[in-house]
This record gives sequence, C-alpha cells and structure tokens, in this order.
Amino acid sequence: MLECRNLWKIYGKIVAVKDVSLEIREGDIKLIFGPSGSGKSTLARCLAMLTTPTKGDVFLKGECLTKPGVDLNKARARVGFVFQHIWLFHHLNALGNVELGPRRSLGLPKKEARERANQALREVRMEEWAKHYPAQLSGGQQQRVGIARALAMHPEIIILDEPTSALDPELTGEVIDTLRDLAKKGTTMLIISHEMPFAREVADEMIFFDEGTIIERGSPERFFTKPSSERARRFMARLIKRTRRE
Amino acid sequence: MIDLLIEYFPMILNGLLRTVQFTFFGVLVGLALGILLAIGDLYGGRITSTIIKFYVEFFRGSPLVVQLFIFYYSIPNMFNILIDYFTVGFIVFALNSAAYQKGYIKGAMESVYEDQMTAALSIGLSKAQAIRYVVLPQALRIVIPAWSNEFCSLAKSTAALLYIGVPELTSALYSIGSWTWRYLESFALGAFIYLLWITAVMKGLDMLYNKVKIPGIEITV
Repeated sequence: MLECRNLWKIYGKIVAVKDVSLEIREGDIKLIFGPSGSGKSTLARCLAMLTTPTKGDVFLKGECLTKPGVDLNKARARVGFVFQHIWLFHHLNALGNVELGPRRSLGLPKKEARERANQALREVRMEEWAKHYPAQLSGGQQQRVGIARALAMHPEIIILDEPTSALDPELTGEVIDTLRDLAKKGTTMLIISHEMPFAREVADEMIFFDEGTIIERGSPERFFTKPSSERARRFMARLIKRTRRE
Repeated sequence: MIDLLIEYFPMILNGLLRTVQFTFFGVLVGLALGILLAIGDLYGGRITSTIIKFYVEFFRGSPLVVQLFIFYYSIPNMFNILIDYFTVGFIVFALNSAAYQKGYIKGAMESVYEDQMTAALSIGLSKAQAIRYVVLPQALRIVIPAWSNEFCSLAKSTAALLYIGVPELTSALYSIGSWTWRYLESFALGAFIYLLWITAVMKGLDMLYNKVKIPGIEITV
C-alpha cells in the first residue's frame, strides 16, 4: 500500500532519516517509537510527501511519488495525516475543518461534502461539537476533529504523528479510544506513539527508531518480553516504568 | 460658522464626497493590489520579490505630493499626453495605498504560521487553494486593525489633491476662506467634518472586526 525504499532526508549536515525501507500493507497497523529527535516525524512527513525526501523513493499502491511530474496534491489527498500539534484551521468550526478537504480538494458538491464531514465527526464522536471553533474545544476534542479531518478524505492510509503527546494525560484517553475504534474497523495506519498499552493491543508490528533509522522491528510481544537490541531494551524499560507511574 | 456651512453647503458636500470617493477607491483597490503584492512577495520567487520591493520603497519613501506631481506633470510631459486630475488621483492613491497595505497583509500572512499551510497541503489542497481558503481568510481578519490605520491616514492624505487642483474638501474650505476672509472658521469647520466622517468609518471597521473575528481568539495588535 504505502512503501518507501532506501529513503534519506538530509537537512544541511544533519541526517534526519538514514536509508529507511518500510512497507505498510492494507489493513496493517504499524507503530513507530523511539527517542525524540530521532527522525520519526521526518520519516512520517516524507511518507505523506509533505516533505520531499533527499534520496530514495516512496510508492503509494505501486505508484512512485518521488519521480518528477507526479501530482502530489492528488497523492496527499489519499494519505491522511494527523499532526502532533493538531493544526486545525483556526478560522473554521469543527465541521468547516472537516468539510474543506472533501469540498475543495476532492471537489465534491456541497451537500455530499457536508454529509461526509458529518459522518467523519460521528466516527470520532464529535458531531455535537460541529459548530464549535477550535479555540472553543479541549485539546482532546481538537485532536479528534483532526482525525475526522483526515477520515473525511476517505484516505487509503492514515499517518498519525504522535497524536496524543501534546495533550494532557487525562485527555489522551479519548483520543486513544478513537484510534482503537479505527483499528477495529481495519483502518490502515502508521502511528508514531509511545502509548505502550495501546500499542500492545492494536499494533501488528512495532518499529524501534533511533538516529534516523530502524534499529529493531517485530511483534509487540517480542518488544514487551525480549527486545534483542540493547537500546530498544533500555527504551522499553523506561516507557513501561513511565506508563506504570501514570 | 454655521452660516458658512449653510451658505456653502453644496460646495462643501461636493468636496466631502470627492474626498470620500478617493479614500474608498484608494483603500479598496489598494487592498486588492496589496493582496496580490503580498502573495507575489511571499511565494513569487526572488525576481518578483525584488521588483515588488522597489515598487513599495518608491511609494513609501517619497512624499505623496511628489507622487501626484510625477503622475500629473512628469509622466504626461514625457509622453506628451494629458491625464485629468481625477484619473491621476485615483491611480496614485491606489498605488500608494497598495504599497503600505502589502506590508500589513504580508505580515499577517506570515503570522498565520507555516503549520496552517502544511495542514492544508495534508488534505490534498494545492498551494493556491491553501492560500485562498486557509491563509488569506485568517490573515485578512488579523489585518483589520492595521488596515483601519491605513484608512485613517489615507483619508487625510486626500487633502494633498489640492495641489493638482482637485476640488475636494480641503480645497473647498480654502476657497471659502479666501472668499470670506474667515479662514479660522472655515478650517475649523473642515477639521470637524473630517473628524466626523473618519470616526464614523473607524467605528464601522471596529464593528466589522468584531463581527468576523474568530470565536475564542483575541487578536491584539
């Protein structure tokens, strides 16, 4: 479905992503975790073509997105993206935020776009808040609208870049519930997250990422019981300790 | 003073209407041009941006009266043509105001963070659509307070049209003063009329600002 081969992203002298190859198949839920500043977000943005990779290729359903002449707007419309800092459009209410993509990017008629937006808001249980503006919503509610904004495009895959890490601990629960619903429906997802109980529950594969590259990958069980790399072992121990504290 | 107003009412009213006309034309056409200049400067590449910079510096860096003279005397002289003072006034006010408004609008667009653009691209909008549906609607709301300053200053600058002979409000007052030798009263009356209509427009812009402001967000400028 979505794949990258030998992907590099270099900013000046800083190598953010180093020779990463990754494939997400239909129905997969892959979870990337690792220290901050390790290049997870950059990788996510390269996969969504929000940033152009320095080297390497990205394929969406076999179609290469990194060769010249590709209509990137069309490609981006097929890949949903949920941002760490949410980034709703401040001047539009929840419905307006969700409706904009179907209406202007997909060019659907007004009525159809609105139906889709309402449907997406229902999926994240935000239909009652449709007329509220971002600044009038809590962080958790905002992020659910952010997820609805991606859903309304009927994307083939959704990439979520630390969807809960900017939220207060008591607000992460409602966003995690929403993601759990999506997982149950078989939504293809690439999630960057450190919510370990959630990861164990839904992820088909976990990927430990550090210094711009994949250090170790495997089933959640393997990471929770016996990660093979020392770095992953130490990082998991810290995360599990933190989760218990919460 | 009241008798002056009554006696010369048609002339004063005419002058005021001219003044209002030039102000609104300048501000509105300047707004449209200002938006284009701001977009060109931000997204148009280095050459476009340099040309725009020269344009803006010329209109911001020279007196309005000199600009009026250039368009009224110098340019027609060069090409051996005649341009009437109304056309000159409209052109200069629009170009002059655009130069100032470009700065306000560009600043407001830049303050609508890069992240709004990224979010817009993520749902498949093109860059042009992102500007049209996401960046500009927010920037134009932010710019209203700065914009009312521009309006205020332009409204008073219309007095400079006196120098190329446009019969606007100040020129009407000047004539009345010289006919009656009651300069003090005629200009005091004039100042009051300026004050009145400018205050009214400011109040209107304030109401507009409150009407379109984004719920939950206070913008302080």
